[in-house]
Amino acid sequence: MEREVIANAFHHVTWGVPISIYFWLMGVSAGAHVISGFGWVFGLKKYKQVGLIATLWAIGVLLIVPVLLIFDLGRPERFFHLLTPGYWHGSAPMSWGTILIMLYPTMMIVYGYFIFKNNAKWAFIFGICGIISAGSTHWYTGVVIQLNPARDINHTALASVLFLLGAFISGTGFLIVTFWFMNIFVNPMRRFRDRFRQEGFAYRFLKANSIGDKVEDSLVVEMGQIMAIGVGIELLMTFNEFLQMNYGTAEEQASLFDVLLGVARVPYMAHVFIALVIPFFILIFTPLKRSPGVVTICSAMVCTGILGMRVWWVLGGQFLQTFF
Amino acid sequence: MTEDNKNHGKSHGRDYGIQTTSGLGVEGRKRYAMVIDLRKCTGCGSCVVACKSEHDVPLGVWRMWLKTEDKGTYPDVKRTFLPRLCNHCEYPICVRNCPTQATFKHEDGFVLQRFNRCIGCRTCVIACPYNARHLLPNHRTDEKQPVGVVDKCDYCIHRVKRGLVPTCVSTCVGGAFTFGDLNDPKSEVSKLVKKNSVMTLKPEIGTHPQTYYIGLDEGIADQVASYRHRSAQMKEEYNTFKKNHEGFHGDLTEGGSHIVVQVVRNFLGFLKEIPAKAGRVLGLGG
Repeated sequence: MEREVIANAFHHVTWGVPISIYFWLMGVSAGAHVISGFGWVFGLKKYKQVGLIATLWAIGVLLIVPVLLIFDLGRPERFFHLLTPGYWHGSAPMSWGTILIMLYPTMMIVYGYFIFKNNAKWAFIFGICGIISAGSTHWYTGVVIQLNPARDINHTALASVLFLLGAFISGTGFLIVTFWFMNIFVNPMRRFRDRFRQEGFAYRFLKANSIGDKVEDSLVVEMGQIMAIGVGIELLMTFNEFLQMNYGTAEEQASLFDVLLGVARVPYMAHVFIALVIPFFILIFTPLKRSPGVVTICSAMVCTGILGMRVWWVLGGQFLQTFF
Repeated sequence: MTEDNKNHGKSHGRDYGIQTTSGLGVEGRKRYAMVIDLRKCTGCGSCVVACKSEHDVPLGVWRMWLKTEDKGTYPDVKRTFLPRLCNHCEYPICVRNCPTQATFKHEDGFVLQRFNRCIGCRTCVIACPYNARHLLPNHRTDEKQPVGVVDKCDYCIHRVKRGLVPTCVSTCVGGAFTFGDLNDPKSEVSKLVKKNSVMTLKPEIGTHPQTYYIGLDEGIADQVASYRHRSAQMKEEYNTFKKNHEGFHGDLTEGGSHIVVQVVRNFLGFLKEIPAKAGRVLGLGG
């Protein structure tokens, strides 16, 4: 039968690009922090030299998050309601997230302090706490969007797993790109570092961050391989999600064909091909995986593509519902 | 209904925190519900206009709206209407997901919003399967009206508590709307629910809506059909609306500007709002 909807209210996609960027930054931060933990928690010596700079990047990236979150609120001057007893609501995922988002950077700062002090015991303890809080904070970003049965794309148990994996690979990719920059400017950075007295705080701080030291190519290549494994698992999960929607209900099929392969196809394709398929193929099946330059390019692709994933997940996930 | 009330205090597998009543209704309390008989609806839109004027609802958002659909091929065409409003669910996802307890389930069945608690995070808007919630704009003609918080239909509780029916019910020319207490077997709504085949929107979500429809057409109540069967004019109006509505410049549109352009525009719109909001955070007004 022929049908035509001729009047309806126009509803908005209410969480916009700032929230997508917040998810991405949170992921980058969590991923970078886990890489930092490789050296000081899992005992991989090679990663110890980049432990502090990875954590500092994780903290630095996280500084943008409150700006995005607070100013995205309709009433930013009331953000403290999220933490006020009597207002706090235990069944709301956002309430859990508020606590996690505050706990995570605190853990990282303490952990970073002990790395700087070269205190392996406490760095190990707070590293474990930091990795758990990093994981749970990014798990929460998936959960806050998946616990909405009305949004067909988002309402999947894979959401938090996809978010976590996306965090890990984008964080690793972000660090690899950072190391590439550090290696380019290694000489001027060393000259800058050597201007300070060796027993002074500034010199020790820069030295602890590997500022002025070359990051080994073998480390970059190894990180590329670790990232490729994460990319492979994320690719499998994304394919599973694709399969589920393809064989799913009317809403799931519409979500796939009209939204992900329709209006939101640019970020979706960016995620699938730029972040997953191409880097995975290069880093697993070709000899180019041993080239630090290629690994860096793949890392930049992964990092950018995961931003596309955050965009389709947030904007695309809300799209279909707005027509009901 | 009395059988349901025996279960008061026991969760039916869903317990949404400290504010929620459990079971269908609360023993000894009213259980307000609305029945909309679509056989009587003429699609005049007076309910929407009455609601807009009663609550001073701003342009571009609706507490209540009328969905209209044509079906069939000329000369056999029928126009169907669907008045839409908050369903005042028994298990409201918006209440569960609100981080500041700004929205809560009243013991008499209303799902209400407390403006003084709301931070405008829009979690409830995302959570609502019925699009019943909207964010109030930052600029209102009447400065006393709330801004930047989420608003929704409240079954006109200010009228109901004074013994009146909601304004959409009182203004309906076809008598399609009936409002009352489902816990009272003598009430009109109880009789309608018992005597007729009533349906709710999206029952599969499991929210137990308390807005019931008689004669609901499955096409107009279907989300995918609502998306796929829009008229050309609707698509055009939708795109125009999205592009011009303040604060939502980045909403996805079809056939309009490229998504990358929309994403950038959305973020620039967000950045543009920061100074005014920062002024509010610092207590400088704005």
